[in-house]
Amino acid sequence: MTQSFQGRVAAAVVVPTDCWYAVARSADITNSLTSVRAVGRPVVLFRTSAGTAVALEDRCAHRAYPLSAGTVQGDTIRCGLCGFVYDAGGQCIGVPTQARVPLGAFVDAYPVRESDGLVWAWFGEPGRARLHRLPELPWLVDADWATVAGDRPVDASFLLLHENFADVTQVPFVAPDISPAVLGDAPPPLEVTVSETTVSLRRQFPPARMPAWQARLTGRPADVELPTVQEGYLLSPAVWVDYWDVQLTDDTWARLRFTQLVTPIDERSSHLMWAVSRDFAVTDIAATQELTATFEDYYSRVLTAMETAQSVIDRDGPGREVNVSADIVGLRIREIVEALLAEEGA
Amino acid sequence: MTETSTTLKEYEADLLVTAVDRAAEDVVVLTLAHPDGQTLPAWTPGAHVDLVLTDNLTRQYSLCSSPSDSRSLQVGVLRAEDSRGGSVFIHDNLAVGSSVRVRGPRNHFPLVSSPKYLFIAGGIGVTPMLPMIEEAEAVGADWRLVYGGRSRASMAFLPALAQYGDKVLLLPRDEVELTLSKRIVELLGTPATDTLVYTCGPEPLLEAVEDACKAWPEGALHLERFQGKELDESQDTEFELVLARSGQTLTVPPGKSIFHAVEELGIPVLGSCHEGVCGTCETEIIEGEVDHRDVVLSDSEKASNETMMVCVSRCRGNRLVIDL
Repeated sequence: MTQSFQGRVAAAVVVPTDCWYAVARSADITNSLTSVRAVGRPVVLFRTSAGTAVALEDRCAHRAYPLSAGTVQGDTIRCGLCGFVYDAGGQCIGVPTQARVPLGAFVDAYPVRESDGLVWAWFGEPGRARLHRLPELPWLVDADWATVAGDRPVDASFLLLHENFADVTQVPFVAPDISPAVLGDAPPPLEVTVSETTVSLRRQFPPARMPAWQARLTGRPADVELPTVQEGYLLSPAVWVDYWDVQLTDDTWARLRFTQLVTPIDERSSHLMWAVSRDFAVTDIAATQELTATFEDYYSRVLTAMETAQSVIDRDGPGREVNVSADIVGLRIREIVEALLAEEGA
Repeated sequence: MTETSTTLKEYEADLLVTAVDRAAEDVVVLTLAHPDGQTLPAWTPGAHVDLVLTDNLTRQYSLCSSPSDSRSLQVGVLRAEDSRGGSVFIHDNLAVGSSVRVRGPRNHFPLVSSPKYLFIAGGIGVTPMLPMIEEAEAVGADWRLVYGGRSRASMAFLPALAQYGDKVLLLPRDEVELTLSKRIVELLGTPATDTLVYTCGPEPLLEAVEDACKAWPEGALHLERFQGKELDESQDTEFELVLARSGQTLTVPPGKSIFHAVEELGIPVLGSCHEGVCGTCETEIIEGEVDHRDVVLSDSEKASNETMMVCVSRCRGNRLVIDL
C-alpha cells in the first residue's frame, strides 16, 4: 500500500448568496427595529403598518451608522445620527439640511418572504429571488404539532454545521446521556438519495427503547422496544431537517421533526435557529418546558463541539481530511454548495 | 467490526403526465407532477432528467419549465424516427394520465452568472434555453438567442419567445438565406470577455460552435450533448484501481467498466446512462492519468484530470486512485 497519498486540503468556505435564509421568527419582527448579521451584511428588520416585513442594509448611506440605532416613523426609518429618512424600499426620501435628496442616497433592500412563521431574506441578485422556492416546514405552525425552539450565534461555518447535522452517528459521542438507544449499536443500512440541489438520507432502526421522556409522553412503558425510522433532508443550504418517527402500533407513530435553520453570518460563523416539533402530547405544557431545557442542552453541546472544530481550522488552517464511506452525505452537501457557488460565479 | 452498508441513488419517482401540449409539428411538451401533489426537488436552469421508459430505454431530457414551479416539471420531446426509440415511445405511448418514471434532476449545463449571454439553439436544443432566458431576464442580463430550425412550424416555443422581441433571432431554413450553420462564424468571430455562450442542438452545430469558440476565453463556451461517442473497447487495458475512501484495491479487466467493477464490490456509486453523456457518475481523481471517453467534460476539464465519468472512462497507465 502506497503512502504517497497525502489527501486533499479542503477548500476555504465561501458563502452562497442565491438562497433564501431565515433571518428571524415572524413573531419577533414588529414596528420596532431589529438588527441581525447575515451573509456578510448588516441587516435591519421591521414591519410596516400594512404588516409587511422589510429587510434593509443596516448602515446609513451618509456616514457609518446603523439604521437600527435610529427610529421608526410610520413606514420609514430615521437615522439616529444624521436624520436621513429611508422608505421601506431603502430609498432616502428626506435629509434634514437640504430640500433635495442627493443622488445615490439609498441603502440596499433585500427581498423578503414570510412562511411557516419565519422571515426569509435573499442576499443574492434580487431578480433571481423569485425563481427560488422557500423550503416548506408546515409542522412549525400546524396546530397538530407542538414545537420547542431556540437560537444562538455559533462560531462555526454553515458547512460544518450541516455536515454535523447530516451525520447522526456523531450523536452518541457528543451527547451520550441523551442519545437514543438505537444510535448506540452499529447503525443500520444508510439509504442516500440525491438530486441536483438536495440530498436526503433514510435509516430504519430495529426495535429499541425510546428515550425516557419520549416513552413517558407517548404513554408507553420505559422498556418497550419499538422500531424507528429516521430521515434527514438538506432542503437548501439554509435548512437541514430530520424526521425521527417511532412506530407505536401498526398505524400510529410518534413523530419528531428537528428543524435546523442555518444562516451564515460570514465564512466562519453562523446563526442557528433550531426547533424540535412533536405530534404527541402537544398540549402538555410541562413537557414543552422540560423539552426546551433538554434540547437547549443538547444543541449547546453539539454547537460547542462545532466551535471547537472551527477553532482548529481558524488556528491551523484547512488541513488534511480523510473521508470514510459514511461521509457520503456530508461530501454531497459540499458538492451542492460548490455547484451553487460556481453558478454564482464566486 | 460491523460495516454500515450504504446505498446511494438519485431521486426517482413515478410521475403523472398532467398535460401533453403540441409545441411544434413533431414536438410535444409533457407536464409531469407527483400523483400525491408532493413537491419535486429544486433545480436550476440547464438541468435535465432521465425518463425511464422501459427496462432498457432510459433517455435524458432538458427541463423547459420554470425552476420556481415546485410541483411540476416540463420536458420538450422531438419525435425522431431515426433515433434510438425514446422519443417515438413517448409520442406513441404517453398521454394525460400516464405514469412515467423520472430520475434526477441533475445539471451539467449550469447557467453561470454573467453580464451577457449568447444562446445558440438548433431545433429541440432550445428546451434548456427557456429557463436560462427566464433567469437572464430576471437578473437583467444582456442576452440574445439565435435559434435555427427546419421551418417555423417545426420550431417549438415560438409563441413564448415572441415576448422577447428582437432579443430572439429566428432562422428557419426555409425562409432565410443565411441559416444558423452559416452564421456561426459571424456570431462568434470576435471573442468577447464579458459574454458566456450556451449552445445545444444537433452534433454538426455543436462542432461548429466549438470550432468557432477556440479563440474565446477559457470557460466561455458551455454546451450539452445527449449523444455519446462510439465506444471502442478494443483499446481497453487492464489496470489496478484503488478506492481511497473505502480503502479497497481491485483489478479492472478490459471490457468491464470501473462503474460495474466498483458496483460489484457493493460500494455506493451513482450512475445512469452508462455511455458517458449524463454526468451522474462523475468521480474525483486522486492519482493516475485518465483516458476520458465521455462527452460531459470539456477538453480543458479533461486535461485538468480532476474528475472522470467512471461509466466509460478508464486509466491510461496501470494504476488509478479515485475518491470512492
